[in-house]
Amino acid sequence: MRLDYLHLAEVKQFRRPLHLNNLTDGINLFVGPNESGKSTLVDAIRAAFFERYKSSSVNYLQPWGDSSGAPEVELAFDWQGERWVLNKRFLNRPRCDLKIGTELFSDTDAEDKLAELFGYQFAGKGASRPEVQGIPGLLWVQQGAIQEIRGPVGHAGDQLQSALGTSLGEVASSAGDELTDTLEKERGQWLTRTGKQTGDYKAAIDACEAGRSGLADLDAQIAAYRAQVDELGRLRKERETIDQAQPWRVERALVEEAQKHLEKVNGWRTEQQQDQATLKDRERSQKLFREQIQGFEAAAKQLAKREAARARAQEQVGDCEARQPRVDARLALANTVYASAKAGATQARQQAERVRLQAEYDALTAGLTISRKALEQARELQKKLARLREQHQANAIDEKALAKLKRYRSDLDKLAIRRESLATRVQFDLLPGKSLAIGDESVSGKGERLLLEATELAIPKVGTLRLQPGGTDIAALVREQEHAQAQHDGLLARLNIATLAEGEQRVTTSEDLTSQIELEAARLEGIAPEGVDALAVQCDLDDAQLKALSGKLVNLPEVVPDAADEATADAALGTAQTKLKAAEQAAADLNRDLAMANQAAATAREEWERLNNELESSEHKARTKNANDQLTNLNAEAASLLDAINARQQQIDAAQPDVLQQDIDRHTRSAEAMECAASERKQAIDRLEAKLETLGEQGLNEKRDTLQQEVDANERRRDELTRRTAALDLLLSLLKDKRQALTRQLQAPLQKHLDHYLNLLFPHASLTVDENLMPQMLTRQPTAGTGNGDVESLSYGTREQMGLISRLAYADLLREAGKPTLIILDDALVHSDAGRLAQMKRILFDAATRHQVLLFSCHPDNWRDLGVAARDLQTLKAAVV
Amino acid sequence: MGRTYRGFAAEDAAALSDARFKVVERLAQLATDEKVDAILVAGDVFDAPNLSDRTIHRTFNALAAFPGPWILIPGNHDAALAESVWTQAARLRAIPENAHVLLKSGVTEFAKLGFAILSAPLTQRQTHDDLTAWFDTAETPSGLLRIGLAHGSVEDQLPEAADSSNPIASDRAESARLDYLALGDWHGTKCINVRTWYSGTPEQERFKDNSAGQALIVEIDHPGAEPKVTPRPVGHHRWIKLNQHLTVASDLEQALQALNALPVQSVVDITVGGQLDLTGFEHLQQALSAATGRQRSLVAHLEALRVEPTEDDLASLQADGYVGDVIADLRERQQAEGEQAETARNALVILAGMLRDHRAEVAK
Repeated sequence: MRLDYLHLAEVKQFRRPLHLNNLTDGINLFVGPNESGKSTLVDAIRAAFFERYKSSSVNYLQPWGDSSGAPEVELAFDWQGERWVLNKRFLNRPRCDLKIGTELFSDTDAEDKLAELFGYQFAGKGASRPEVQGIPGLLWVQQGAIQEIRGPVGHAGDQLQSALGTSLGEVASSAGDELTDTLEKERGQWLTRTGKQTGDYKAAIDACEAGRSGLADLDAQIAAYRAQVDELGRLRKERETIDQAQPWRVERALVEEAQKHLEKVNGWRTEQQQDQATLKDRERSQKLFREQIQGFEAAAKQLAKREAARARAQEQVGDCEARQPRVDARLALANTVYASAKAGATQARQQAERVRLQAEYDALTAGLTISRKALEQARELQKKLARLREQHQANAIDEKALAKLKRYRSDLDKLAIRRESLATRVQFDLLPGKSLAIGDESVSGKGERLLLEATELAIPKVGTLRLQPGGTDIAALVREQEHAQAQHDGLLARLNIATLAEGEQRVTTSEDLTSQIELEAARLEGIAPEGVDALAVQCDLDDAQLKALSGKLVNLPEVVPDAADEATADAALGTAQTKLKAAEQAAADLNRDLAMANQAAATAREEWERLNNELESSEHKARTKNANDQLTNLNAEAASLLDAINARQQQIDAAQPDVLQQDIDRHTRSAEAMECAASERKQAIDRLEAKLETLGEQGLNEKRDTLQQEVDANERRRDELTRRTAALDLLLSLLKDKRQALTRQLQAPLQKHLDHYLNLLFPHASLTVDENLMPQMLTRQPTAGTGNGDVESLSYGTREQMGLISRLAYADLLREAGKPTLIILDDALVHSDAGRLAQMKRILFDAATRHQVLLFSCHPDNWRDLGVAARDLQTLKAAVV
Repeated sequence: MGRTYRGFAAEDAAALSDARFKVVERLAQLATDEKVDAILVAGDVFDAPNLSDRTIHRTFNALAAFPGPWILIPGNHDAALAESVWTQAARLRAIPENAHVLLKSGVTEFAKLGFAILSAPLTQRQTHDDLTAWFDTAETPSGLLRIGLAHGSVEDQLPEAADSSNPIASDRAESARLDYLALGDWHGTKCINVRTWYSGTPEQERFKDNSAGQALIVEIDHPGAEPKVTPRPVGHHRWIKLNQHLTVASDLEQALQALNALPVQSVVDITVGGQLDLTGFEHLQQALSAATGRQRSLVAHLEALRVEPTEDDLASLQADGYVGDVIADLRERQQAEGEQAETARNALVILAGMLRDHRAEVAK
């Protein structure tokens, strides 16, 4: 098929008619910038075919803002040697005319004819939808739609299938499909879609399970039954062998015997206890009496002791008295010695004292002489100093004031000099006998006067001259001078000097005096460091001291030549003192001892007497006797009791009561245990017999066998169904597989076309299609791109490429089936890189040898090497006729 | 009694169970007809220790036809334990007067009938002692036949002995000076020596072909005389096991003939292996179906049978398109081993059947 021309009028921006003529076989390339109307052309072609002429859903074709527009499309194409011309107008005065060769068709007839030829349908109402657009929907690709394959292929599915066509029908029309259905139905009886057992099959399996567990239960019950039967047999045997004999009777007899024996022993024990109580009582009494006797004996002993004590005390007194004389003698001697030593010591002391005092007196006398001399000197100096100080005082002059005065003086001098310089000097030299008055002064002869102020010079008979010294300063200066002078004089007066020189002189004098004073003061200091008065006082003190000393000396005796010295005398005194002390002590001790001894002797005597009286009394004697008698009796009794007790204890021990008790316990327990066991056994036997009777009635074995039969039957059924379903599954899978293989075979042509194009892009790759002819999996060599994958999961760019390749393959297929294949690509392959684009152009070129392709793009550069001249839309628009 | 039959359809199993009661009745009738003095049952009267009351009642009722004494001892299946079928039966008062159940070892005299029974019943399920040992020293009144009644395995006899416990010396009859020793436990009739016989079970209940299904008529003239033993068939159903291997077409003919020649009301187990074409397979299935109607029970095992369709078979199937491929695939799979081959065979048979039906539909 070849589209020849396309005319548009009143379609969107093409208000004025646009003519696209001389469309060629192969690729027709239209380029133009955005909004140059490329997509409008595509829309116009689509509307011409897809939309009914009467449709009211094509407003989008009208020029903007022109609701009265009547979009009109006319196109012509050649098909199988005939020219078809379609003319359609929409919305306003809609119409549709189709001319096929020389035949004319109109309205819906025309539209249906086109739909049949191209392989699409019309939407029932409203605008056309992809679902009905069939083959053109697949081959006329709008912007941004090329990567979408599944949808368009789905909608064109029937057409594509019928293009592959008659051969696929082969597959469907054999008996196989019917068989498959029947088999599915039968399989469905026993298996679900997912292969789980259902229906009878499941029931059989479940029954087997239930049966098995039931069998297990019954087996358990039967085993329990058997065990219980065995148990019953065992118990019966035991009862026969053990319980018949009633062995507990023996035990009970033994118990009785032991009991009797034990009772006897217990009797003995009671007796024993009684005896022991009595014995205790007797022993207590024994103790009491013994104590009593002991007391008596102790008293007697006590008496003897006291006798001895008395004797001893007496002895003691004697001793003391014997010592007395010696001690007295010693004491007297010590006193004597002491007295003499004391005298000697006193003497010695006095001697020493005298010597010392004398020495002191002599020294003091000498010292005093010196001191007196010094005092005189000091007094002299003091006077001198006083004089000097007076002088100094009188001479003193304030040196600061003097300095000030000096300043005044110099100031005055300066002032005078200034006056001199400032003052008007009047020198006169008068004729003899003449005089004039300068101011108040009358002068004559030669002279000079300084005038510090206005002065009148009175020249007799001439007149007066008033002289005004220059400079106002003069007055001030005079005043200053006067002030200074006053000050100077004042100060002089204050200082009480006539002149500065005098003052200075006084300063000098003062200085001299000061140094003199210092000198004298130093000398005085040397003589009387603490002052003259102190020295005087010291002298007086020393004097007094001297007097005292002399007084003392008078009282002291004269020196005795060979008197002992103090030290020796003191030593002797010390010794004597010690000895005296010792002797006194001894005497005192002795007195004390004697006193004590006497006391003790007296006490001892008293005590002895008292005790003696007591013990000699008759009452005491009687008690003693009684106690002895009683004790003897008690001893006898206790002895006999003890014997009895011991004998009985041996008896008791021999009887071994503990062992007896144990025997009793043991045999009692044994008897009880045996009786218990026997009774339990009896109960167990009764219980078991009852139980087995009931169980026996249940016919467990038969039940089990019946259940086993059921289980067997179910298992057989189940196995049967397993075999059958396995066979069904096998058949079904084989049928499906074979069918699929056959289908693939028949799809081979499409596969061939796909691979042809694909290999231009990816060598050795393949794109599989499923049984609905949808592209499914892309398989590539690992080096060429990113491996294998579902087409849906490829990159956008690659999907565009797959989209185009698939469409070209479908187009080839359709062409072989004798269908018209016009391919329209509006701005396809925008996401392909340069490399891929190059390959795609080769593919397009190849396809274009078989199909007419209308290619729209806004990138003319991309398509330069496609082998066709691009037609610029803008140029076309401009060239409107 | 009370034995159940596994591996059979429910109704067949019921019928076989029923047959056991009938055989007792027949025994009783035979005994009455032959005018015997007593019937001895050497144990395993009951198959299990815990049976329903009904079974017990039926069993003892079946004894009715022979009024003379029935002398029974417990065997290993119905041992006289503390609680057993016998105690149950006693409680139910099911045991008729003419049935003498000897639960203890000992001598039981039947002076009027001229014999004494030395019984060695089993009081345990298994014992490793020879319970007949005391026979040797047991005294019986002179003039009475000494008849031993015991249950167990005679030593040194068949290698596949039923029970290796409960041993019985093979020369017991001689050492105990018995006129006759009646033994139970083995299912087939077996003569140990001239005075020692196993009567076997009166109604066969297994495929082992060992002369089961008989009763023994024993005639002894006087004490010391040699017993005359006559086996008499009393069983109803024959148990037959067949094994056929098919290679060529004629084999099938043979097999079918053998099938048809079987005595009716038998219990049949038939295994067919080898290979067969489709038509032959159909024939076989039809024959088996028919045979099932004639026999008491028929169980067929066809797992090892391969179906090989011939060219004619295939042509007649008219399997076109990919269905033909499927058939070829299945034929190949049949060559494999084991379950796979069987599944493939089954699938092929199903497919063939369906195609045939389909063709029949179309033809209509």
